[in-house]
Amino acid sequence: MSTTSQMLKGLLDGSLLALIAKGETYGYEIIEKLQSHNFAVVSEGSIYPVLMRLQKNNLVSTVMRKSPSGPKRKYYTITAEGEAELERFKEHWNQLSQGVSSLLGEGDDERAVK
Amino acid sequence: MLSNKSEEFIIELRMYLISKGKNDDEIKEVTQELEDHLQQAEAEGKSVKHITGESPRDYMKSIGKEMGFDFRQIATLAPMTALLIIAYFSFAPAIEGTFSISKMGLVISISMFVISFFVFGFLLVNVLPKLFHSKWFYGVIAIAYTLLTVLFVFIFLWEHKSNSEPFFTATPLQNNLILIGCIIFFIIFAIYSKSWITILIPFFLSWGPIAKRFIPDNLNKDPELIWITLFVLAAITIGFLYFMFRKRRIQN
Repeated sequence: MSTTSQMLKGLLDGSLLALIAKGETYGYEIIEKLQSHNFAVVSEGSIYPVLMRLQKNNLVSTVMRKSPSGPKRKYYTITAEGEAELERFKEHWNQLSQGVSSLLGEGDDERAVK
Repeated sequence: MLSNKSEEFIIELRMYLISKGKNDDEIKEVTQELEDHLQQAEAEGKSVKHITGESPRDYMKSIGKEMGFDFRQIATLAPMTALLIIAYFSFAPAIEGTFSISKMGLVISISMFVISFFVFGFLLVNVLPKLFHSKWFYGVIAIAYTLLTVLFVFIFLWEHKSNSEPFFTATPLQNNLILIGCIIFFIIFAIYSKSWITILIPFFLSWGPIAKRFIPDNLNKDPELIWITLFVLAAITIGFLYFMFRKRRIQN
């Protein structure tokens, strides 16, 4: 697996949580929204194991409702625990991205000085 | 409507998760969700590969990993299935009034069960879902079924020849009690599994033993009558197959 896809995999839990926090949604819509944010996933189905994990950890709640196309559809909403987890994810991400940016930037600066 | 490929993937996933002892409701939930996704994806011209990535097997594993092993379900289902198989083995001799157990018979029954379990288990999980829309689907079932039946008939004949002494032979009363026990269990299993199949199969299988018990022996061994019966049965089978294939052709 490439470094990029491994990186994305690690960020998928938090990113899906952030998407669900914006309002009730379902599997296929999540994929469309991820794509509109240019968030590349390995395969479309890879969101489902993550969604199952979020549900198992009570970070999201689900409800089955009839969809316009026929079969029942599973809709996701964020729970209070999910909101708290999302806040932690944001904090970690900010720290991490600042750290990595500063590291990468440092390299650029050094090169610029030379 | 899902494409054949998608439908086969959903069936394969369901069989895989069942074989790994996952909870029925959870399996239903995730397969429904994926069906919904596949339907929308296919409407936009995407294929199953878009959803599963390069390896459908790896994808199934990643789904299975997020689901717990449902111990309670297995703990109920395993003894229920074992009892069901014992009931299947017992009810025909009980109707005939010839229920008996010999050591050799016991060993053979258990090994027959184990062999069938592995052969059909392997076919159900690994082979048949991939062939769901192929003409080989029924072919593979028929071949496996015929091979196992032939094998078991040979084993039975051999056992018959070796004449192993039974250590338990049921009295007429015990035979009837065993039969009642089997019938009650078939009904319980039908209610538990919410399907008529465990009542229908014994119903059809019981005609032979009932006839053997109630039709006089001289009639039973009359070669002319045997030929007539065989002929009628063959005609019914051919007629049934003809209508089934015609229906399929019309559907296609």
